Amino acid sequence: MAEQRGARPEGVAGFAFSGPYPVGSYAAVLRDELRKRARVQLFGEVFNLSSSRARVYFELRDGEGAVPCAMWRDAFDELRLPPDALGDGAQVVVAGGPDYYPGSRTSSPSFSFHVTGLRVAGDGDLLAQLDALRRRLAAEGLFEPQKRLPRPALPRCIGVITGEGGRARGDVLAGLQRRGWSGRVVWAFAPVQDRRAAPAITQALTDLASLDEVEVIVVARGGGSLADLFAFCDETLCRTVALLRVPVLSSVGHHADRTLIDDVAAVACSTPTHAAETAVPLHCAEARAALGASAVALSRHARRAVVTRARELAALSRAPGEHVARQRRALHQTLRELRASATRRVADEGAGTRRRAEALRRRAGAAAGPDAAGRRAALHSLALALAAHDPERVVERGYAVVDDRAGNVVTSAAAARAAGAVRLFFADAPVDATITEDEV
Amino acid sequence: MTEQTTDALTYEAATGRLEAIIKRLDSGEAGLRETLDLVREGRGLVEFCAAELDAVGRGLEELRLDDLVARLESGGA
Repeated sequence: MAEQRGARPEGVAGFAFSGPYPVGSYAAVLRDELRKRARVQLFGEVFNLSSSRARVYFELRDGEGAVPCAMWRDAFDELRLPPDALGDGAQVVVAGGPDYYPGSRTSSPSFSFHVTGLRVAGDGDLLAQLDALRRRLAAEGLFEPQKRLPRPALPRCIGVITGEGGRARGDVLAGLQRRGWSGRVVWAFAPVQDRRAAPAITQALTDLASLDEVEVIVVARGGGSLADLFAFCDETLCRTVALLRVPVLSSVGHHADRTLIDDVAAVACSTPTHAAETAVPLHCAEARAALGASAVALSRHARRAVVTRARELAALSRAPGEHVARQRRALHQTLRELRASATRRVADEGAGTRRRAEALRRRAGAAAGPDAAGRRAALHSLALALAAHDPERVVERGYAVVDDRAGNVVTSAAAARAAGAVRLFFADAPVDATITEDEV
Repeated sequence: MTEQTTDALTYEAATGRLEAIIKRLDSGEAGLRETLDLVREGRGLVEFCAAELDAVGRGLEELRLDDLVARLESGGA
């Protein structure tokens, strides 16, 4: 231990320890002591790889513990490892020994295992265990039940499990706002990365699912290393999610990280904002506009149905009248044509008849001319002969005509006796007579 | 029957039925009686959907699960 100059304060009363020594001296001694320890090889899984200009840092972990490691950047680059060879969970063997950076008044001290050699040994045990659990849950069919649950298009109440101070909370709210959704959110705040996380999240899930009003649950966490996200690979947690009756939407870590809750959930979302939008599939403003359009369409159809049919009815009611009018016009036309035709025909026939009558008249005159006088003389003698036999003329000369008063002429004595009562027709007047005759 | 249908009605079922109704009306194949019946049913569905949208449009309400559970355990609503 180097001697220190200047004033040295009194020690703590009651302690027989040596000192007090200046801390910088002690830190340097501690570094030297650690560097004297034997160089060894360790194996474990790499997590949280990062680098600065001069050094590369990572943690080497297994189920029992962990050691922070540091390696000179030059030495690391000489390994020429593929870019993603030391992702979280990569199993490696490192060679080196403990080292201590003593720090100063202006820089923090740090302990690390100084790595001078490194070999990638294969897949990490933790990831292998995770894969085994994933296969087991898949074989039990636990990836399916959540995916079969119906998810409401417009939930009224959404449960959200997330860290209280994380950015995920704001991201979820932003997603809901983007949907134009402003219903009820039930926040279940839980630790999201340490050993308490899985049981707390499991409890929050069952509590939220027990509330009837909660229609969908979002489990959200921002990005982190796979080690930080192991809480979401917890077997009990994943089995609980798989058997919930409420759909669970997971948004854990970034897209590249696939946790087991992503496998069992109804939907695995890339970000908390995406999860919120998935929880409310409907864009409320658009839905409202679509609903308005539907209402307008209904009214239009109702009006059109009535108006169109009223017009059809009116047209139908006019149809018989129009039909009759059409027929009437057609009849009138036919009648006019008939009349015109008849007039023409009558005129034609009249002219023909007149021509024929004239011809006949001329022909008759010509034929009758020579015999007319002879026929008139014969006719006159016949008239005279006829007058000679006229009974009137005979009666005028003193004869009488007898009938039986019934108009039957009596021409014999026997008929006169038989009639009994007779009438005698003289030239000036008839006289009734009775036949009386003495027996001879 | 009507009550059961109303109880079981969801927003997506309502909008699905509404779309089917408008498609049927747009086809022009519905008679007058059917048209008027469909319009009546459609208006009921529009009212239902509007009420559902109103329910998630009145303003965000944020509750904490702890508070809610505590309230339920103490017998409150």
